[in-house]
Amino acid sequence: MKLFGKTKTEDSKHQRVLRELIKAVGREKVLSAIEDRICYSYDGTKQKALPDIVVRPGGTSDVSNTLKIANKYEIPIYARGAGTGLTGGAVPLMGGIVFDLKSMNRIIEICPEDFVATVEPGVVTKDLQDEIAKFDLFYPPDPSSAAFSTIGGNVAECAGGITGLKYGVTRDYILALEIVLPDGSVINTGRKTLRSVTGYDLTRLFIGSEGTLGVFTKITVKLIPKPKKIETLAAYFSDRDDAIDAADLIIDNNILPRTLEFMDKMTINAVRSYTGTDIGEDVKALLLIDIDGTEESISHEMPVVENACKENKAFSTKVAETAKEREAIWAARRSISPALYNIAPHKINEDICVPRSKIKEILQKVDQINEHQTIYIANFGHIGDGNIHVNIMYNDDPGQAELAESIVNKVMREVVAVEGTISGEHGIGNKKSQFMELEISPKELAIMKRFKSFFDPKGIMNPGKMFLS
Amino acid sequence: MSTDWKEEVSKCSKCGKCHTVCPVFLETGDESMVSRGRISLAEALRDKQIVYTDKLRDYVYSCKKCMRCRTVCPSGVDYEVIISAMLRGVAENMGVPLLPRIIFRYILPRRILFDTMLKISSKIQRFIPMKKRGQMRHLPLLFMGKRWIPTLAKKSALKKLRETKKLKNPRMRVGLFTGCLINYIYVDIAEAVVDVLNRMNIEVVVPQGQLCCGTPSSSMGDYKSSKKLADLNREVFESHKLDAIVTACATCTKTIKMDYLRTLGPSWQPMSDKIYDISEFIEKYCGDEYEANPVKEKVTYHDPCHLLWVRGISDEPRNVLKKSSNYVEMDQAGACCGGGGIFTIIHYDLTLKMLERKVASIERSGANTVATNCPGCVMQIADGFAGKNSKVKTTHSIQILQKALVNGGIDKGDEK
Repeated sequence: MKLFGKTKTEDSKHQRVLRELIKAVGREKVLSAIEDRICYSYDGTKQKALPDIVVRPGGTSDVSNTLKIANKYEIPIYARGAGTGLTGGAVPLMGGIVFDLKSMNRIIEICPEDFVATVEPGVVTKDLQDEIAKFDLFYPPDPSSAAFSTIGGNVAECAGGITGLKYGVTRDYILALEIVLPDGSVINTGRKTLRSVTGYDLTRLFIGSEGTLGVFTKITVKLIPKPKKIETLAAYFSDRDDAIDAADLIIDNNILPRTLEFMDKMTINAVRSYTGTDIGEDVKALLLIDIDGTEESISHEMPVVENACKENKAFSTKVAETAKEREAIWAARRSISPALYNIAPHKINEDICVPRSKIKEILQKVDQINEHQTIYIANFGHIGDGNIHVNIMYNDDPGQAELAESIVNKVMREVVAVEGTISGEHGIGNKKSQFMELEISPKELAIMKRFKSFFDPKGIMNPGKMFLS
Repeated sequence: MSTDWKEEVSKCSKCGKCHTVCPVFLETGDESMVSRGRISLAEALRDKQIVYTDKLRDYVYSCKKCMRCRTVCPSGVDYEVIISAMLRGVAENMGVPLLPRIIFRYILPRRILFDTMLKISSKIQRFIPMKKRGQMRHLPLLFMGKRWIPTLAKKSALKKLRETKKLKNPRMRVGLFTGCLINYIYVDIAEAVVDVLNRMNIEVVVPQGQLCCGTPSSSMGDYKSSKKLADLNREVFESHKLDAIVTACATCTKTIKMDYLRTLGPSWQPMSDKIYDISEFIEKYCGDEYEANPVKEKVTYHDPCHLLWVRGISDEPRNVLKKSSNYVEMDQAGACCGGGGIFTIIHYDLTLKMLERKVASIERSGANTVATNCPGCVMQIADGFAGKNSKVKTTHSIQILQKALVNGGIDKGDEK
């Protein structure tokens, strides 16, 4: 499939495609120098594969014209937002054309009276959040990459984030999409209304489709009123199970925190030695809880939350009311990523999700799997959703990478056994396609593949992702 | 050094967080113009996948070396090691253009020659009309077309401040590293530093023989010239007995305090520890020593990249300004003004976009004076306001403090 082949015919095919693309979208939007191709060869997984051409479309018609050419010559094509994905979604595994959709980054309209906004896919999620905040509105999905990932990428992977328990994930806020199909035709799914049940829900089929079905060119999102106030509580435990019980009790009290984050002992140790924070040596688990709402609702809910922690043997709790205090507490959570690299230079960051009642069980299983191993596993994440980031840290010693992979394999099996899912928010990409069959039965897999071949009969859209074959 | 960067590039986890702060990427959205992209290019160079080309050089030169990315990097990549290696690679493989090379190698290390060259230019510039609020269009020798840049001083700071004003029982004795922009153009900044410190009973020596810090040459990858300058500067400053060395230039501070540790090795550490930005020094040693009578003008502060992002200094200049003026904060005070060396020449369009944003932020703040701690930023921002006939003045924060100390802070010119 590689375009840069040795044979003469392939070479001239490459030249023809390049000529046609330049004619269709303009010379300045088509990059083919090796320096540019290198810069679009990777994503957040550190995998690399060189594309042959990078197209920076200026609008829907550029995307459509490019897809027509790609379809005609059967050239693989990959939609790329900011290239921050964690499962390889934007990596051009089979060469071909990468769309750099960062070039389509206009906020087309914000309709405060309708609670909707329509944007191009290259808008950075936080830029959208900041813009709508001016109208006192709120777009909740908040993946930790929100400040640099794009809304298009978020929709393609159905990104989650720390506000999922109370507010849901990306899928819950997408009302309508403009999509260019592989043959270059443009479809519109959904309506700009807060509800619509006309026909099949094609919008949801495309959310989380990881660029394997079509390319989004316009995205209409739902907005909600912005909570007036946020207060943060940190609770410290000497036992992991106590923290999990406390999280359960908070929710049992009919309180849905804006965020309910958990960190285990290994994570805390890493953060402590990295940042030198004053988290005591005896802290073996911690919960980080944001409550949002009005002054009144928070003053009612925060004591309940604090009590739930104390009832479950939290030996210390800390409430932050000012932005500065909140920032200090959250700094620990934010430093996890760099801190973990102090344990070992390589990381496999899994994003398993299990029913909340199975969290204790799955963490015990993870402990057992790693019992006699030389590999460190740090667990943290969105405990309210049951979405735990299992981080398998390994070094360069021979056999370590294989060992890490085998641990991932075992963890995935246990997750599926407790009716969990292998990916809560990162997507499948090529990194997890080998585990698809664990969770999805052959029959459902066959249905998915029929959808795929219906929309993309020539298989040019993001080949090598989602499915093994 | 060469093994260093090769290992450093592997640390990048390609997360993309540098997107959030890179002033160039925020303008262009080009992956080739952000640290993650350039690190991938460095990786490709290391793996012999590519060679130095004009395109690669432009991508390397598109970096402003503000080091914001290093501050936010979750993987702890020392990006400076990587970009420096690439700049050196550009110089070694593609050469340094002739004119800068002559200046770096032969003129910068020789003060008398440099003085003479600039003196001739300052004579020539007097015959050029179109002076405008102290700025003029196109200065010979400094290769910057289309820009409003200030006129050269008739007498350099080094010459003007040759004689050390002796104090009776000085609390401290400090040396002033002027840097080129202050030495040749903003002589009044140097004079303000000396005046302010003298008023605080600190003796200020301006060591003769000090040279360019070396930033211009290293930013074009000519580390040989930079090393030569560093050696000569070391000789000059080590020959004086000084309690501290102050500079009023953010970039010079970064270079002589931080970069020299690499250029000259760890033996520079004791000297490095003694080097301060002027506001940093005043807050540390003179905080309680003075009572300024604040000037009436509304002053806002612009953070120079090399002070905020390399040294983390933001409170000190603000504290000084709060004591000496009617201070207001601007939004985006830490955003780059777009100034800075080779970048402004190769990517002039981007420079202008950044400058426009900065000017807009300053105007929104309602201030009638913008102060900063870097003559490079002063030059850039003054250019932005000169171009639009604005009344907003651009100055160094030390000059505001000087005003507040002189005349009990009552500045007659500003009362109308």
